[in-house]
Amino acid sequence: MTQSIIGKSVPRPDAFDKVTGGKGYPVNIKLPGMLHGKILRSPYPHAKILNVDTRAAEQLPGVKAVLVPADCPKRKYTTVYFVPTDALSMVQDMLVMSDTVRYAGQPVAAVAATSVAIAEAALELIDVEYEELPCVFDPEQAMAPGAPQLHEHAQNNIAVNPEMEFGDLDAGFAEADHIFEGVYTTQRVHTCYMEPRVCVVDAEANGNMTVHSSMQHLFGLRQKLAYVLEIPESRVRVIKPPYIGGGFGGKLDIGYIEPIAALLSRQANRPVRIEQTRYEDFITTARHPIKVYLKTGVKKDGTFTARYAKSILDTGAHATHGAEVINVHGMFGFFLTYRCANRKWEGYSVYTNNMVGGGFRGYGSPQACFAVESQIDEICDELELDPVEFRRKNAHHQGDPHPFLQGMKLDSYAFDECLVRGAEQIGFAGRGRPNADDGHKKRGVGLACQPLWVSGCLGFPDIYEHSGAIIKLNPDGTADLNTAVMDLGSGQITTLCQIAAEGLGLPMEAVRITETADTTTVPFDAPSHASRVTYASGTVVLAAARVVRQRLLEVAGVMLEVSAEDLEVSAGTISVKGSPDTTLTVAEVVQRAESPYIQVGDEGPAPTTVEEKGTIIGLASSAPAGNPSPAAVGFVAVEVDTETGHVQVERVVYAHDLGKVINPNAAEGQVEGGVQQGIGYALMEDLQFEENSGACLTADFLDYKILTAVEMPRKIESIFIESDEPTGPFGAKSLSEPCITVPAPAIANAIYNAIGVRIRELPITPEKILAALGKL
Amino acid sequence: MKKLIRLNVNGDDHELAVSPDETLLGVLRGPLDLIGPKRGCDSGGCGCCTVQVDGKAVYSCMMYAVSAQGRDIITIEGIGRDGELDPLQQAFIDAGAVQCGYCTSGIIMVAKELLNTLDNPDEDEIRHAIAGNLCRCTGYQKIVDAIKLAAAAS
Repeated sequence: MTQSIIGKSVPRPDAFDKVTGGKGYPVNIKLPGMLHGKILRSPYPHAKILNVDTRAAEQLPGVKAVLVPADCPKRKYTTVYFVPTDALSMVQDMLVMSDTVRYAGQPVAAVAATSVAIAEAALELIDVEYEELPCVFDPEQAMAPGAPQLHEHAQNNIAVNPEMEFGDLDAGFAEADHIFEGVYTTQRVHTCYMEPRVCVVDAEANGNMTVHSSMQHLFGLRQKLAYVLEIPESRVRVIKPPYIGGGFGGKLDIGYIEPIAALLSRQANRPVRIEQTRYEDFITTARHPIKVYLKTGVKKDGTFTARYAKSILDTGAHATHGAEVINVHGMFGFFLTYRCANRKWEGYSVYTNNMVGGGFRGYGSPQACFAVESQIDEICDELELDPVEFRRKNAHHQGDPHPFLQGMKLDSYAFDECLVRGAEQIGFAGRGRPNADDGHKKRGVGLACQPLWVSGCLGFPDIYEHSGAIIKLNPDGTADLNTAVMDLGSGQITTLCQIAAEGLGLPMEAVRITETADTTTVPFDAPSHASRVTYASGTVVLAAARVVRQRLLEVAGVMLEVSAEDLEVSAGTISVKGSPDTTLTVAEVVQRAESPYIQVGDEGPAPTTVEEKGTIIGLASSAPAGNPSPAAVGFVAVEVDTETGHVQVERVVYAHDLGKVINPNAAEGQVEGGVQQGIGYALMEDLQFEENSGACLTADFLDYKILTAVEMPRKIESIFIESDEPTGPFGAKSLSEPCITVPAPAIANAIYNAIGVRIRELPITPEKILAALGKL
Repeated sequence: MKKLIRLNVNGDDHELAVSPDETLLGVLRGPLDLIGPKRGCDSGGCGCCTVQVDGKAVYSCMMYAVSAQGRDIITIEGIGRDGELDPLQQAFIDAGAVQCGYCTSGIIMVAKELLNTLDNPDEDEIRHAIAGNLCRCTGYQKIVDAIKLAAAAS
């Protein structure tokens, strides 16, 4: 089949609507009789709630429902969408509202009223009596004897404590010529989706519930909400919004707002909408801070002999994603990245009185990559080894056994090519020594790798992986693709339509995604997360397209009195192989399939055939065949001002093996956005909290800084390497996450190359640079 | 105590009773049912709510509705003519500058002011013009490309 749509930068089908206002965002949903909910949040980071007096609030005109912890269900759950609610690999420690407060900002009461202003006024009238408890904000202090205990089930506040071991670590260190040790710390950062978390829940008196929400997973929300409320899943209908205003992993779990809105709606017998303020968003989800103790043994020539890491993750008041991030961090950020005969990793996900962490692109990998890739450069510097060659030497290579999935191989894995082509493009071989420049502005070049990442999560315990799609042809020759996949902005609508169009033999503009889907009409699909949609959902969309194509050719075969095997379809036209003049349009075939059995023509009634009748529709639902690993390498050039400590990233060259590019423009857009988030992580972003009260100090965009167009490098140079993954749709693997992972260590390495100073703590602020230079 | 005001939005006059502390954004998204201006932070930090007031790009979350009386307010819904897209809207589609799209309306409104002021802005002028608008998806690269494309087209 000639590939005509794959690899083309076709425009996004959703772009027209978005440039004219954007009807599809969940934030726009208004229902008749809708009330507005607001949440009262604890000012204390650790306290017992002794009493909640809501009498005055209930008396306020316009208040229709008031919720306190005593009104809420008592079944504990995990919020994370991509696992079953009671998954044994996770920790069930959440309640909609608890009478123990474990972080400043935890919901303690809620109100639904006829306006936002009345709801806010009612919150002021609620009187909560607290008994303050001792707090702990540092995870290592939380693990120490005598620390305040947050949860009865977690001794020393340790939520989970996974370990991995391979080979003989002691023997590996004994074999080493050199041993390197370092401690690398990362901060708490926010995904900064632009559309706030928002939901509208309509709990009808008959027990059915309709839910609109800005989220990354229809079925996860349905399942979690049903579990929390202890009602059958089929009672909860989650409506798929056409798109949402960003997610980046930050909308990968049920929030407080959905169950609270549901309970308020039940009470008031009216729909309830809750939209979070930006402050509430900032304290709802974050990438977890992780402290990594890293110890590595190497031979003189740079071969790893032993790798050991201990990672301490601050999960905050509840485990949620912290029970899983720690594993992905250890596995894909450290344990599997490079070949080494002797490895050990231990992870601690630790409760503190900080805000609860969440999902964020990279999911544990950025924290590990910062440690691993920084230390590799320290080793190379000390042993005078080439950082590119060092990584190549220790990496997995194409054709090697898959280090994670037993019995599989790295069939497509162009890591070496990423290294070589990226190094060449940025001119890595020609980089200077630290402080080579005259004057106070010094330039440096650095690199970092994400050697082994995932396309989905196949092989991880308890994680949903299967996808589903329905494709239906219309009498005008177009196709409707119906799927539960959420487009967070990263272009899933576009790439899935391209895959469907190519599989069907239709032009791109003939395929559209159905906008009216909900959990009663579409097959299950795992969340839009883990770089999985193009690979996993794309595979299923292609399978559904092939079912439809087969039926299309069967009907055409009846019409043309030839076998379906003798037909082909391309760009909406069906032709007989070898006789290009004998053609039918897809529209003609669908019209025939959808037509009455006996058709009345000029010559009277004439029967057609039964074989050609019926809507041409196809369904596929399956889990992917593998977990093919993309590989990525990022190179940066920086300029460091040694007078001000300011770091300007001047160039970014990012090389990524994604198997096959479905849409080059969309792929570049992914990388450019990921790099913005990665540079922010490296240099400026930091969710900060007041030391004793735990109050958020960076609760708006004036205090929480992300890069603007001015601070960004003028061009992000993407190099896409197409290694043609045999199991992927048209050879595709995945793209989304490594581009956010590699900038921070690459920048730290480039800063070292510029000024000879090693910063092991993110973000690398001007203050830290000046302090390291002895100027503060 | 509500106050009766008259607002001209996208060429239409509206008479509205608003509280003195109601923002322009609140009125646009509320009683006027316009969805183009977005609430992203409600504190003048993100730019998703940007509209034009008398030809100047303004954060509508930072302006009281009562202050907008007698002024010419244009939202993304009010640009483009006779069913045709504004060249900036078309350029955002063509350049692939739209991802989640939540920032798009605001950035187009800022870019519109820029292109009304400068015929052929250079890269730095474009980047500084949109520096008050945050985007988390695109890294701004294709947004800058789109504004260049629109400038070249007009």
